[in-house]
Amino acid sequence: MNQQDRVKRRALIAVQVVIYGYLLTMFLLQLRLYAQRDW
Amino acid sequence: MDTTEKKDDLPLGTPPAFARMHTIIRRACYVLLFGLVIEGALTFPLLAAWYGVPTLTPAEVCDELQKVMYSDDSRTCETADLRSPPLGGPGEAQHQTTAQDEWGVQPKPLYPRIGFRELVRNKEEREARERECAAEGPDHPSCNPGT
Amino acid sequence: MTTTDDTAAAADLGGIGLDDHVERSRQAQRAADRWLIGGTILMGTAILGIVGLPLFLRGLVLQRRAQLAGLSVRPIIVTLIGYMVMLDGALNTFGWAIDLLASHTYASRIFLPTWGNMFDAGYFWHYNNLPVGGAGAPGEKAWEVLGIFVVFPMRIAACIGFLQMKRWGHQWMIVTCWTGMLMWVGYVANMTVYADLRFTSVVFPVVGWWVYDIFYITPFVALPYLHTVNREIFSD
Repeated sequence: MNQQDRVKRRALIAVQVVIYGYLLTMFLLQLRLYAQRDW
Repeated sequence: MDTTEKKDDLPLGTPPAFARMHTIIRRACYVLLFGLVIEGALTFPLLAAWYGVPTLTPAEVCDELQKVMYSDDSRTCETADLRSPPLGGPGEAQHQTTAQDEWGVQPKPLYPRIGFRELVRNKEEREARERECAAEGPDHPSCNPGT
Repeated sequence: MTTTDDTAAAADLGGIGLDDHVERSRQAQRAADRWLIGGTILMGTAILGIVGLPLFLRGLVLQRRAQLAGLSVRPIIVTLIGYMVMLDGALNTFGWAIDLLASHTYASRIFLPTWGNMFDAGYFWHYNNLPVGGAGAPGEKAWEVLGIFVVFPMRIAACIGFLQMKRWGHQWMIVTCWTGMLMWVGYVANMTVYADLRFTSVVFPVVGWWVYDIFYITPFVALPYLHTVNREIFSD
């Protein structure tokens, strides 16, 4: 059970990291476009 | 046993292995809740202040935004009857021809950014122009400024 | 397992029968829910949200008090997640529903292009130019249809079942939180691809939209809880 729980917890944390990482990436990408273009 | 005593402190359904995770999630939910409510409450005052309420009524703000949106000083925000989208009938601006854009696969709008309470200034300047036009006659440059 | 321990313990307390305990728990939960529902409805209107929040918090206090008194009520986090995801769904539905279904009303035309001019020109650019009306941004209508007719009804139904501690409610909350992730990924990608259109001449470009919308990530935050909670506490 303990090993299962540990794997589960790591997987769930990985999902959070991926999704917030994606959002942060898009945010930074949009900021970069803002800096480069005439908005 | 010691473990059962600790278990009693845990909320229902929370296994000991995930107790800390559940606490963090609960606190995050409180942050999001307060954030949502506060931003919901602040949105209308912020929009109202920026776009000229109460000097302009909300309907006048709508008019001014339409003029900026389609780069056309004669546009207004009219009441629409039931024969409007999505129930049928043409869109309010469906046949407009005045919008200024750089067209391409990614259109880029050419209307200007609206500054703090700039709509109020827009309205006042336009009305001053119209008064001058009415006073001076149709040949005066204040009527129909050159495109 | 913990539930039967609780109720068995309660039955042991002198003078309080099991039926009585169940009945008192149900009443306490219902009392708390009245405040929670009222608060959530007000918060769902956005403008009256600041009035709804104290009502909601009072519901939580009542529930916690019942819990400390030994009654069998919903875990606080289930209440919090259930109502918040419902609030998230309601706020999203409101904006998109008036854009898709009420785009030619005064309310819609006063609120949406104004908000759009400040945060996201997708709702300002060529507003009501499309035959279907509303926001003209590429792809926006598709997301609205998906949200209003599939994702948010599913979300609200799941929350109701989840708050009732039903097994199907728990399962469908997992489904709807994952669909929330699908929506966010796709929607943000679309915005970024058409960034010139969405942010040119906006009062608070990029940062404004993100600060405004980041508080709608409740489905993401709830997911780890939904996957690690003991399923036994949800009944058939």
